[in-house]
Amino acid sequence: MGNNELIVNNPLRALGLEDKSGGVQAMMGLVMARAGLGKTAILVQFALDCMLLGNRVLHVAIGEGVDKTRTWYDDILSLLTDGEKISSIPEIMKNRMIMTFKESSFSKALLEERLDDLVKQNIYKPECLIIDGYDFANNDRESLEGLRNFMNDRGLKMIWFSAVSHRDDKRVSLDGVPAPCHEVDSLFETVLLIKPVGDAMKLDILKCDSCKLDPGTTLMLDPSTMLIKKG
Amino acid sequence: MNKDLSKVRNIGISAHIDSGKTTLTERILFYTKKIHAIHEVRGKDGVGAKMDSMELEKERGITIQSAATYCSWKSVDINIIDTPGHVDFTVEVERALRVLDGAILVLCSVGGVQSQSITVNRQMTRYTVPRIAFINKCDRTGANPEKVTRQLRDKLDLNAHMMQIPIGLESDLKGMIDLITMKAVYFEDPNGETIVEREIPAEYQAEAQTKRETLLEEVSMFSEELMEALLEGGDIDTQLIYDAVRKGTLALEFTPVLMGSAYKNKGVQLLLDAVERYLPCPTDVVNMALDLKNEEKEFAVTNSPDDPLIMLAFKLEDGRYGQLTYTRTYQGKLAKGDTVFNSRTGKKTKIGRLCRMHSNEMEEIEACGSGDIVALFGVDCASGDTFTSEEISCSMTSMHIPEPVISLAVIPKDNKAQMNMSKALNRFTKEDPTFKTYVDHETGETIISGMGELHLEVYVERMKREYDAVVEVGAPQVAYRETISQKASFSYTHKKQTGGSGQFGRVGGYMEPLEEGDYEFVDSIVGGVIPREFIGSCDKGFKKSLEKGSLCGAAITGVRCVINDGAYHAVDSSDIAFQLAAIGAFKEGYLKAKPIIMEPIMKVAVEGPTEFQGSVMGSINQRRGMIIGTTEEGSYSAVEAEVPLSEMFGYSTALRSLTQGKAEFTMEFASFKPVPKGVSEQLIKAYQDERKNA
Repeated sequence: MGNNELIVNNPLRALGLEDKSGGVQAMMGLVMARAGLGKTAILVQFALDCMLLGNRVLHVAIGEGVDKTRTWYDDILSLLTDGEKISSIPEIMKNRMIMTFKESSFSKALLEERLDDLVKQNIYKPECLIIDGYDFANNDRESLEGLRNFMNDRGLKMIWFSAVSHRDDKRVSLDGVPAPCHEVDSLFETVLLIKPVGDAMKLDILKCDSCKLDPGTTLMLDPSTMLIKKG
Repeated sequence: MNKDLSKVRNIGISAHIDSGKTTLTERILFYTKKIHAIHEVRGKDGVGAKMDSMELEKERGITIQSAATYCSWKSVDINIIDTPGHVDFTVEVERALRVLDGAILVLCSVGGVQSQSITVNRQMTRYTVPRIAFINKCDRTGANPEKVTRQLRDKLDLNAHMMQIPIGLESDLKGMIDLITMKAVYFEDPNGETIVEREIPAEYQAEAQTKRETLLEEVSMFSEELMEALLEGGDIDTQLIYDAVRKGTLALEFTPVLMGSAYKNKGVQLLLDAVERYLPCPTDVVNMALDLKNEEKEFAVTNSPDDPLIMLAFKLEDGRYGQLTYTRTYQGKLAKGDTVFNSRTGKKTKIGRLCRMHSNEMEEIEACGSGDIVALFGVDCASGDTFTSEEISCSMTSMHIPEPVISLAVIPKDNKAQMNMSKALNRFTKEDPTFKTYVDHETGETIISGMGELHLEVYVERMKREYDAVVEVGAPQVAYRETISQKASFSYTHKKQTGGSGQFGRVGGYMEPLEEGDYEFVDSIVGGVIPREFIGSCDKGFKKSLEKGSLCGAAITGVRCVINDGAYHAVDSSDIAFQLAAIGAFKEGYLKAKPIIMEPIMKVAVEGPTEFQGSVMGSINQRRGMIIGTTEEGSYSAVEAEVPLSEMFGYSTALRSLTQGKAEFTMEFASFKPVPKGVSEQLIKAYQDERKNA
């Protein structure tokens, strides 16, 4: 199995994210779910897809350790390759850097400082940013707007966030985006929601300005692997 | 006389470098009345701590060899192995963990869980060693035991819970509140030897109550009786809590966290109580041995003194009176004058003297039994050997030994040094399986190899100090490897006719990359084109070829050689002819198989104040390093990276100047990876030049 095969076979192709945007326009995406339903698994699939396409990914894990985050990548990659040993994997992994922060210490300013450190010293210049564990409940719209501007200023192609929704918080936006992101949904081009239905796991496309699927479409996830089911 | 094994604790003390574990051990010896005065590690009295028995350790303030010692606390006998904190000496830590039943994981209350704590914890998990955590240095500015406990949970994935809370912190540290007895404990007198229990100060009452409730809730998971007692309310028997904590600890599902400051003589006695209460005795742990008479089938040792003897030699030391062998007895008993069998060599040995070790002092004993850690005199063996009684033949499970990654040439100054060096190297290789030595046939130089710069540096120093072997040392060399990247065929005929009987042999087949392992030989010869008696000769020839590759002279690994064709001559074919044919065939195939050079890549963790994170990352980048990740926690950050070993020489100096000495790093071997093209060309050129000049 080669890189190309991996890219083509990636279950994310089902979303057709590249079809409308043509990969030019910067975009912010959001994966939402209740706690423990597999948001990180979906984010890591996006990150791996970026990496396989030759982009550099900076994975910011808030409240999570480096080792645990690495394990996510190893596990998902092993599922994508069916456990096959692929010689290009070490090379692909050079396109990933993990940065972890404590919940209380993460801020846009700190991220900016760290990223500039990397770029100015020519150590690492990411094209995609994954922010896993961003605290939407305690950060306002302004901070998110700041991150959007940051994406544009630094020439990032995309930022993917994860957010935790709560069963008892019934607030939703017009597009159906649940709290705590219901008031900031306009800042995102794509919003996906993981929902357990019986034994199955569904991925609802609440909003997708840059994919071929229309909002309201539902994809199925394999509950054991959290990979998007093809077909 | 049979000893009550429930009163024995074999424990190790492991931690990150500079967490104060040697000071802690020193205090333990003081409170257990093994020593009568306290000497600091880098103390002004020039005596040094008791456990740092080697001069070098005293000088550097680090513990290199694990010194074993014995003491008694209340009703239990405790054998302590003080283990090194530097990752270069990891095999010492691993060996100690192999023979221990429980361990104390020492952490600095300021630095918290650092990279070496993670390594040590991983090792403890590998050997299923139940542990208690001791948060030391609570008197230091920035001490935060709560943060460290959280880190134990988050970073080490331990179900860690504080058994105490401190009364005051930093320079204001006064004592601890025991959350089980709900008493405030103070340590009085100049050396903290008098323990005074008082009522909990009013300002700590609420906090202590809340923390106790959380603790009991957690601990009750391990005891139905305790859970019932909690539900019923009212007073709870403290023994019930102790039992539940012990159960959780032994199952590796709970880690009791104690705290204090060994340096300020606070909290050490409570730690000793915890060792007695929560850590396992020899019968609580299942140790497996391999039955050598029954296809190495695993069986559990019995711990019974009435069964045949099984004893593991886990450490050797060259003392004033010859070789000193540290052993752990797993079952049976041994008395002075008894004869034992070394199951590796099959040799009989009479035990002349038995001693309990107290750092570098000893106490002669008449006999030892199951669970004991004692030293034997005058026994010729290697580290890791198993001794048994005559009626059984078994071996304790082998230990995980990493491959050396760095080497350097040692050249003795004169003949006397040459002799002494041989003695020293003979001893060191027996003592430490990660330390290897060989003679380079081309240069005639003696090469030593090990796990890191410091590892080899220490042995060179020991050669000088202990054996009076003054040696000149070459520049450290990275242990490169060569391997092939594609399949290639070979067909080589070795023919020599110079009068008398000639030499003839043809070897045909192919070689291909081997994913796991160093070398594999496959015989696919049909029809007897190479007679059976010469198949082994082909294998021998290939093996010889693997010793030195043609690119940079490094050993070749990861090759499968398959022979499927050949030819022989009824008179001229011989063992040597086929060996030479195989060497020729290998040479032919090797160049076609696109050989590449591999270098050792080290996993490097740099920890220090956040303000230096940028420059640390820069320094790693300059060294061809790949940054895996960064972790930021307040004012402290860690950078994890993979860096080629060849780029790490002198990094400690560079890091010190870059961070005003505030950051530190650890590294351990991660994997072998192909070197970049530019580096490969340089290495090939250097090797060619060297051969030209030779």
